[in-house]
Amino acid sequence: MELMATAMHAAQTKLDVAAANLANVSSTNFHKSLVRATLGPAGLVAQRSFDASPGPLRRTGRAFDLAVAGAGAMRVRDGFGRIWSERSASFERNAAGNLIDPSGRVLLGGTRPLVAGPDATIDANGVVRDADRYAGRVSLTPGASLESGFLEAPNVDAVREMVGILVAERSFETAQKTLVALDETRQKDADDVARVKA
Amino acid sequence: MNRALFAAATGMAAQQQNLDIVADNLANADVAGFKRAQATFAAIGGDASLGTAATGVERSFAQGKLMRTGGPFDVALDGPGFFCVERNGERAYTRAGSFARAADGTLQSADGWVLRGIRIPANALGATVAADGRVSVTVDGRAGVAAGRIALAAFNAPERLRSLGSAVFAATPESGSPRTLAAGGDREPKVAFGMLERSNVSTIESMMEILTAQRAYEANAKGVQAADEMLRIANNLHRS
Repeated sequence: MELMATAMHAAQTKLDVAAANLANVSSTNFHKSLVRATLGPAGLVAQRSFDASPGPLRRTGRAFDLAVAGAGAMRVRDGFGRIWSERSASFERNAAGNLIDPSGRVLLGGTRPLVAGPDATIDANGVVRDADRYAGRVSLTPGASLESGFLEAPNVDAVREMVGILVAERSFETAQKTLVALDETRQKDADDVARVKA
Repeated sequence: MNRALFAAATGMAAQQQNLDIVADNLANADVAGFKRAQATFAAIGGDASLGTAATGVERSFAQGKLMRTGGPFDVALDGPGFFCVERNGERAYTRAGSFARAADGTLQSADGWVLRGIRIPANALGATVAADGRVSVTVDGRAGVAAGRIALAAFNAPERLRSLGSAVFAATPESGSPRTLAAGGDREPKVAFGMLERSNVSTIESMMEILTAQRAYEANAKGVQAADEMLRIANNLHRS
């Protein structure tokens, strides 16, 4: 019976993850989670993992919407001076001309924040130009190429998540039915034992 | 316990918000100088997968197409920047260039925003606007009488401007203060006379966004249903 309870738990986790993935079908740069259930000594255990595979690039036409095509990442720095990798973000120019992502992190060119004019263009190699004048270069990992005017859409496939929800629901139901059946058998056992005794 | 229920509900709320913004874009598709907006969303709860939340509205200041209207005081900006307007002492910035002459000689939009820097003399006939924003009129048969220069402004971060209505914006600390914008030069924006800038809303794209939002809403609603169904099943564990 405990085994069935762990199976119900695993199905619940599966549903949680599918619902959260589905909820983020419009979140830029979101990467979905995966669930894998493994049978161990403690019963069925659902393990979550993170699917880092890139999502499709969606055209926005904004010059400071940047996405890395293929492998690699841009480098951004947060308010505490920590460096992060970022694959895609909708950057906005602040009053100082730095490019800031939605989490408030600043895009780096080399080790320093990039400064770009309001009409700057950014090419596939990350070179920033202000009216044809070189203004810096976005730090990219080697081999990465940059797309300006694009954002990375989430790597969520709505159909797959719907199927995930169905599967979770049915596994949950199966486990529940089995549990009830087991419970009824035990109940019968208990009754029979009582009858024999009497 | 039931995270899925709440995650799916945040997804429904997000798509609702998404639809509101798209509907607003569509409603303003024919408003000159209107700039389309887009709702942005991000995951919340990190590894706990709690769903999604709106992170804000992003406006695209991409240039709209210029159309010839022939209006006597219609102006459009070819290139980045804004016309400086004023109403009851409040300063604002717009790319909607449909103005009409008011009794006091100023040029006003339908909403009463006054174009700064221009005063048309009462007896003036036919005005023309040069690419650098200089306005000249014909007075008593004399052509080329100066009537002021259209004030233009640019911002370091136009996306952070605050919307005051359909196509009029106010400066914020995040947008930076307006700086005077020169126009008409080689690499500078130009004032186009007798033209208006269309909104940069694409109706086809907006229709597609509506369809996707609707389907995503539906999918999340199914998520809510499934979570609810599982709660029902769990409740059936105990039969009395």
